Amino acid sequence: MPVSRLELRGVCKTYRNSGQPAEVLHDITLAPSPGAVTALVGRSGCGKTTLLHLAGAMDFPTAGEVRIDGRATGALSDSELTALRRTRIGFVFQFFQLLPTLTALENVELPLLLARAPKSAETARERLAWVGLADKAASLPYQLSGGQMQRVAIARALVHSPDILIADEPTGNLDTASGDQVLALLRDAAVKLGATVLMATHSAEAAAIAALRVHLRDGRIQSIS
Amino acid sequence: MKLLRRLILRPLRRDLARTLLTVLAVALGVAVVVAIDLAGDAATGSFRSSMETLSGKTDLEILANGGIDEKWIGVLDSLPVDAAFAPMMEAQGSLAGVGGVTIYGVDLVAASHGQGSGGPAGAGISRALASRLHLTPPASLAVTLPGGSRQIAIGRVVDAGPAEFLVLDIADAQQFLGRYGKLDRIEVTVAPHEDFARVEKAVHAALPSGYLVEKPGVRNEENQRMVRAFRWNLRVLGYISLVVGAFLIYNTISVSVVRRRAEIGTLRAVGASRGTVFGLFLTEALLLGAIGSLMGVALGRLLASGIVGLIAQTVNALYTSSRPSPVELTAAEAWTGFFTGVLVAFISALKPAREAMQVAPTEAMSRGAHEHRALLRWRHSLLWAALFALAAGAMSLAPAWHGYPVCGYLAALLAIAAAAFASPAVVLAVNRATRGLTRRSAESLLAGRSLTASLSRTSVVVAALATAIAMMASVGIMVSSFRETVALWLDVQLRADLYVRTAMPSGAGAYPPMDARVPVLLAAIPGVAAVDDFRATEFHYRGERATLGAGNLDIVRRYGRLRFLGGENRDAILRSLPGRDRAVVSEPFALRYRIHVGDRLTVPIGSRTVVLTVAGIYYDYSSSQGYVIVDRSTILKYLPGLVPTNAAVYLNPGADAEQVRREIQLRTAGYGIAIARNSDLRRTSIEIFDRTFAITWALEAVAILVAMLGAANSLLALVLDRRRELGLLRFLGASARQVRGMILTEAVFLGLLAAILGVALGLALSLLLIYVVNRQSFGWTIQFHLPVGLLAGAVLLVWVVTVLAGIYPARVAARMNPIEVIQEE
Repeated sequence: MPVSRLELRGVCKTYRNSGQPAEVLHDITLAPSPGAVTALVGRSGCGKTTLLHLAGAMDFPTAGEVRIDGRATGALSDSELTALRRTRIGFVFQFFQLLPTLTALENVELPLLLARAPKSAETARERLAWVGLADKAASLPYQLSGGQMQRVAIARALVHSPDILIADEPTGNLDTASGDQVLALLRDAAVKLGATVLMATHSAEAAAIAALRVHLRDGRIQSIS
Repeated sequence: MKLLRRLILRPLRRDLARTLLTVLAVALGVAVVVAIDLAGDAATGSFRSSMETLSGKTDLEILANGGIDEKWIGVLDSLPVDAAFAPMMEAQGSLAGVGGVTIYGVDLVAASHGQGSGGPAGAGISRALASRLHLTPPASLAVTLPGGSRQIAIGRVVDAGPAEFLVLDIADAQQFLGRYGKLDRIEVTVAPHEDFARVEKAVHAALPSGYLVEKPGVRNEENQRMVRAFRWNLRVLGYISLVVGAFLIYNTISVSVVRRRAEIGTLRAVGASRGTVFGLFLTEALLLGAIGSLMGVALGRLLASGIVGLIAQTVNALYTSSRPSPVELTAAEAWTGFFTGVLVAFISALKPAREAMQVAPTEAMSRGAHEHRALLRWRHSLLWAALFALAAGAMSLAPAWHGYPVCGYLAALLAIAAAAFASPAVVLAVNRATRGLTRRSAESLLAGRSLTASLSRTSVVVAALATAIAMMASVGIMVSSFRETVALWLDVQLRADLYVRTAMPSGAGAYPPMDARVPVLLAAIPGVAAVDDFRATEFHYRGERATLGAGNLDIVRRYGRLRFLGGENRDAILRSLPGRDRAVVSEPFALRYRIHVGDRLTVPIGSRTVVLTVAGIYYDYSSSQGYVIVDRSTILKYLPGLVPTNAAVYLNPGADAEQVRREIQLRTAGYGIAIARNSDLRRTSIEIFDRTFAITWALEAVAILVAMLGAANSLLALVLDRRRELGLLRFLGASARQVRGMILTEAVFLGLLAAILGVALGLALSLLLIYVVNRQSFGWTIQFHLPVGLLAGAVLLVWVVTVLAGIYPARVAARMNPIEVIQEE
């Protein structure tokens, strides 16, 4: 797995709300380490999710730069961004976001199909086994528990072996046991697969697995521990 | 009201594109219904003779085929009643630069009470025609009449509104038309104080039994009756667009209900009654229906002007001469159109509104669960489909109701219902069959799954599209079968080498006479083997009009190939006719009056009532009113002065048709005749046939348009509903192009599903149209013919249209902001 350098340099994000500018992020500079989990911690509305979208090249800063492998995301074309998401970035969401019409295996396989990658089914099956759900390959999302759904979502996020994994409140909708399983998988993704894992959370248990905890308050970095 | 605004109006405004598509679909459906009614009225509204405006109030008319002997005017005048009897002539002539023009002959001397001069100097021209010709009397006008061209001295202008005609003194008209001593009709005006019944009785008693005495306007009513089956069928075709529109209303309200289940649940939890919820969704449908219908009425008025010409040419070709009158939108027609649209919207919304009503207060079901239920119900739907199909089959066996193929159309409606109920099973079956293929790309995998996941919605839009395809396919099969049958029939019927008739404008029911000397001249031309001079005249049978024709049946037997029903012995039948009161009748005539071989028909010929024995029934596709054909010897026995209307010329083997044609032209110059080669006549007949069905193609275009709106509407609904999924795909690495491709792939799937169901339904409907509706309406036997090319074209067209309909929703999908939509709850 190639080692990616994800860097945020003086990143600001301002939205316009009814014509009035509202700054959501202010002067964020951060360089999450590869092979480790970095947690963004803070209250709801502090800018965690916005920061994740910027880091995942789904959105762009109004000032400053987000760099992946030294290239600013704002300078990339739409097709380069799509290629980036297909090969280098994986996403995990609080509400799992599985497609209800696809089986667990098909959900995992989807990024590979979108990227037109060869042997997609075999790779997807391996990744599903990696999260311990080989026996649920043919199940539809509504037949799975919340924890199982999130594990499928992690398998999907990792199926194309991305070097950056973005996770937005991955345990926010799970019971403790399921949450623990999911956190273990995220740690494994960092430690065993070498991914740069950037996770937003307001759970102390989740933050505990991180090597680095970035505390956000009102769009600014309050502290790093 | 607040509830309505928040729960119904606001979402309608939010999804403005979808709302507009639904409204437009209803508008188009209503527009077609209104346009067909208005254009039908305008196209048939001018049956009334322009002479009626000229002659003022007439109480009775006396008519006879072959004309009335003018001696009867004297007899009528001598009756001890206080009534005026006015002789009338009516013929078609033609004017350079104008074309066909009606020429009336009236008793100008009597009409002007001795003040006028009469004679050619007193001929009148209607103001409309005079201004078109920029003519100011006194002037001379060259008019082509049967028998040649004449100069007519015009002495005055007659005010008669927009009607264009010439009016001559009766004696001049008789002379010009070569019909000495004959009148076309006698108009009777009863004095105000006179007993009408007494006059009617006296007139009946004085005249021969073959003469027809009827009230003015009866002819107009007859014309209206004659075209009623045609108009009825056209109206039903028009309603198909509304049926497609109904599917769309159903779809829109269903989507509304599915998307707002959580809202409905909350509403019920805070105290809204079932009735309130039911009322809210019905109001939504009524609102869409009312706005669409209003637009539809206005659009229908515009469309009517466009299609009136198409309807008029069909009426002229098949029934009787008519001139289109201006299109008028009456309040009654506007209200009918409006209420039809609203009613269709109301009925379409009943089921989804009921579903909304049944949402439990605590329920906030997701689409998935609702659709899962739909998935489980497909077997149930298939059972209903089978029941509807069986009912359609049973209904197709029922006879016509008062001459209308009501059961045939009910069977068609049941067949459409069967297809609609079979739709979920077809969607699932096709999806299963193509599962291996669709897994090859993300776009096709997602598109296929999405369509089955939204099964109830997909099924409705597939049913709507399939109905449009089926309509196109069935009418296509019917028209092409009919065309093929007519072409075959023309091959059999048109055996002569040349056809000669008066060069006058003619249509169904109009038989301009030919100079009696023409057949004699034709027979003398070298190379001519035989001349069959045909005489045609209108007659009344059981209150309806039909054509009495007389030909030289010995020549028909020797040269022609008239085909009789049931493989009857053609030669023996035709041999049995000359010199005897026997006739052969056309299939539509036999079916209309339930006539069989051996039956006896009472037919008025001239002044006599003749009883004819039916010797055979022959195939004919030239008139739905029907023909009774006798030998020329029979008709001349009763109407010695009846002149031929056309002639078929058979040539000797080896004779040069072109040379004979030139010789005919030379020898008959000055008789005002037109000569057509066999191939010309066939081509013209097929052209008339094609013109006749032009209106049906126009109707289909609208149905396809409505179906296209439906596809766009449905795909847009799917896009809006799944925006979170579509946003997610961008997170997972889908390019905007892939998202667009996925929606277009769904459109391709929809088109495929609709094509499969539509062709199957179309075949069923075509059988109903050919063997039930057509036979019951017009009495024609049509041989089934499958136009593979046309069907493939129709399917391809709808497919292309469906994919085109997917372009806008696909653009909407591709332009969504993934961050915004993924965060939506």
